Amino acid sequence: MKTSNAKLCICLAAIMVVADAPGRLSSETASESMAAVSGSARRWSLQVDRVEPGEIGLAHSFQVATYENLLTELNKTHQFMRVFREGDRKAGEVSNLLILKTTVVKYAQGSETRRAVTTFSGATKLSVRSQLVTREGKVVLDRTVNGNVRFFGSNLRATHNLARNIAKMIKESPCIGSEQPSATVTGQLTAGSLRGEL
Amino acid sequence: MSRLFVFQNHRKSLFGRQVACSLWLLLLCFSIEAWAQSAAPSARASFSIRATHLLGFPNTKNNCNGDLTIKDDALRFEQDSKPEAEVKIASVQGVFLGSESKQVGGKLAKVGKAAAPYGGGRAVSLFAHKKYDSLTVEYADDDGGVHGAIFQLSKGKAENVRRELVARGASPGLRDDDSMEASTAEVSHENK
Repeated sequence: MKTSNAKLCICLAAIMVVADAPGRLSSETASESMAAVSGSARRWSLQVDRVEPGEIGLAHSFQVATYENLLTELNKTHQFMRVFREGDRKAGEVSNLLILKTTVVKYAQGSETRRAVTTFSGATKLSVRSQLVTREGKVVLDRTVNGNVRFFGSNLRATHNLARNIAKMIKESPCIGSEQPSATVTGQLTAGSLRGEL
Repeated sequence: MSRLFVFQNHRKSLFGRQVACSLWLLLLCFSIEAWAQSAAPSARASFSIRATHLLGFPNTKNNCNGDLTIKDDALRFEQDSKPEAEVKIASVQGVFLGSESKQVGGKLAKVGKAAAPYGGGRAVSLFAHKKYDSLTVEYADDDGGVHGAIFQLSKGKAENVRRELVARGASPGLRDDDSMEASTAEVSHENK
């Protein structure tokens, strides 16, 4: 009786091991392939430069808010190995570095009170030209991105929406995942900003 | 004899005057020294003001209220009952002022205004706004990376903070946001 119980236990254990093996094997394979994919996409580090006001006298608070929001949003995407600030000495030690340059193209200062009273006027609109440049000065990505605040929120919320749109644009860009960013993408991203408008 | 007595008296009175004079001078010196000693710490006294941190200060939540303090050689922000965060004044690269008009009341007021019938909320919005000063501080971290922090203060208070920071060695900004607002107010710009 005892030997039959022991045999039953051994059989059950063997069945469980055999049943579990393919799953474990498949999950290991999946995690390896995921790591390979993310590894190729995360070969690059990014340095975010301060926002250039261009010929437009954008308030310093807007420039700083855009810069800080960009850093936050780009870190959230996990697209890059590291995200550096402008002037960071550690960025010089990294081999694969892209530099994000942001220049203000268009700015319409809105009013929170006007938005709250009328709902159709007083929108704050911010439009920037975003360029991803290699250390050698080669432009990898060149897009115009908008960030607006139409209904609710303070004027500075436009910078948050703008940063989110830029991060999304970079994430969806096909050239970042490749080993050598050779493709140059130019264009304008306007539809993407619609979701950011509040 | 009487002349000798008068001469001696005169010498005594002269000596007394000299002693009184020197005592008075000594007292004056001590009082000046004491005043200087008491004035020296007041020049380095801490400066504190109520502010709202909008973004950018290290280890601090966005949109939170607290005390912005300038003490010794650091700019500190202390949230209510939380450890304070600080930035060395020597690392501050620019301090810029601006002004902003915002709706008051927070989210609760927004919901109330939206729910008010016959557009009553809009009428309330017309009056429920307040002007604030914005203080933008650009500073560098230990690795040289540029950071920016934005604070919101009551109208007219940001200038005091900037004056205090500049007096302690921070470099002032070249242009304030106020001067820009005049050129950009409610006008759309296009870079063609």
